[in-house]
Amino acid sequence: MYPEIVREHFTHPKNVGKIKNPTVTGSYSMPNLAKAIFYFLIEGGVVKDIKYQIAGCPFAIAVCSILSEYAKGKNVKELKNIKLETLEQFFEIPEEKEECINLSLKAFLDGVKNA
Amino acid sequence: MSRIIYLDHAATTPVDKRVFEKMKPYFTELFANPATRWTSSISKKVDEAVEEARKNVAVLINALPEEIVFTSGGTESDNAALKGVAFANKDKGNEIITTPTEHEAVLKSVESLQDFGFVIKYVPVDRKGFVDPDDVKKLITSKTILVSVIHANNEIGTIEPVREIGAICKERNVLFHTDAVQTIAHLPVDVEQMNIDLLSLSSHKFYGPKGVGALYIRKDVPIVPYMNGGGQERGFRSGTLNTTGIIGLGEAAKLGKKEQKQRENSIAEFRDIFLAKILEEIPAVYLNGPEGDRRLPGNISIIIQGIRNEPLLVALNEKGIIAGGGSACSAGKKNPSHVLQAIGVPEEDLFSVIRITIGKDNKKEDIDFIVENIKETTNQLRALSPFWEG
Repeated sequence: MYPEIVREHFTHPKNVGKIKNPTVTGSYSMPNLAKAIFYFLIEGGVVKDIKYQIAGCPFAIAVCSILSEYAKGKNVKELKNIKLETLEQFFEIPEEKEECINLSLKAFLDGVKNA
Repeated sequence: MSRIIYLDHAATTPVDKRVFEKMKPYFTELFANPATRWTSSISKKVDEAVEEARKNVAVLINALPEEIVFTSGGTESDNAALKGVAFANKDKGNEIITTPTEHEAVLKSVESLQDFGFVIKYVPVDRKGFVDPDDVKKLITSKTILVSVIHANNEIGTIEPVREIGAICKERNVLFHTDAVQTIAHLPVDVEQMNIDLLSLSSHKFYGPKGVGALYIRKDVPIVPYMNGGGQERGFRSGTLNTTGIIGLGEAAKLGKKEQKQRENSIAEFRDIFLAKILEEIPAVYLNGPEGDRRLPGNISIIIQGIRNEPLLVALNEKGIIAGGGSACSAGKKNPSHVLQAIGVPEEDLFSVIRITIGKDNKKEDIDFIVENIKETTNQLRALSPFWEG
């Protein structure tokens, strides 16, 4: 049903929760349907910690988890360039799930653009 | 394959092994076309089996065999009934009354009739999904030709007061159709007692094969045939009969008649134990539709606040538990359920619904396991959710 990496991150999502005093946050929602919020702790332009909250489909949850792992320790400048295609290194993007994947990606980018 | 606990029987049921055995010979040795029964002995045998199936379906709903037309399923039966009656009676009037909580097969059929000058009136439903027969009475005018009210709702399990609505229609000389796809073989259905003129049923909802169903048309109901061709089904529904499907449907109907009460009792018991347990174990969960005898025995529709249904269903599937989210035909769409909207479920809860529909082979011993898994997954998803302040 789902690519193995998506299944793994969906069933065991990493970095779940909130950061008490985040440097920046980012969010995106589809009213009454789905919402993602990212919390970033940034020091010297580098992501020291990242957490998120998500209510959405399994793909949206998995993408939050994958992005949180990907972002840790990376320079924010680099993260600003992430696109939907960037995620293709992790799994093949099914067209009918693009909207769900974009939900998490947009919340993530909303955060890094302010960093 | 690891063990599967299937809890989506309103979407479809497995074919009963006894039904499958009955169907088998008609795929191979007894393959002939029943239309050639006067010239071929194999055809004659197939024709007899088809007519036996027709009789079994008729007996199940207390109709006459000649009042049963075989179709491809519930959707076709609904389309054929509504459009066929509308066009046959257009000189008498142009108004059709239905409810906002019908299956899409009814809703889309009546919508399509608007293009031909028919006017559709919707009788309201209350918070539990019930139609008040008095509201139907108030909507009937001299132009009303047809009323269509679902027997029991496929999403929330509400059993409508069909007998009372049928009586009102009879008194006002208006034809009455019911979509009984969810109730046939699950509840007693009697077209005479319930004052029904047309009834749709589908085989795969009661342990028969998919792709076959029937439409009951009371004798002398004016209706236009919509499928033209070789004149099968007394000219109403042309096309070579789906003999294997029909024979399967007939056997499922026969078993359904015999086992209905026993199935109803054990399934309703499962439902009530399950519901009590889930409401006790998980906070912020509520039931859609009514409780008790006015609810389909096998239907549980609940809102689990703060989470979305899709990840819950996928996570349960990982554990071998297959449940549903809303109606089967809406799965995969981002449109919220029209039924939940009609009964006034708050917008923020519309995607938090799960539907558990119990079948005759579900075991009460599994209830604890199922509830435990729903609880565990709900807790995990709520821990993630920005909609949940735990």
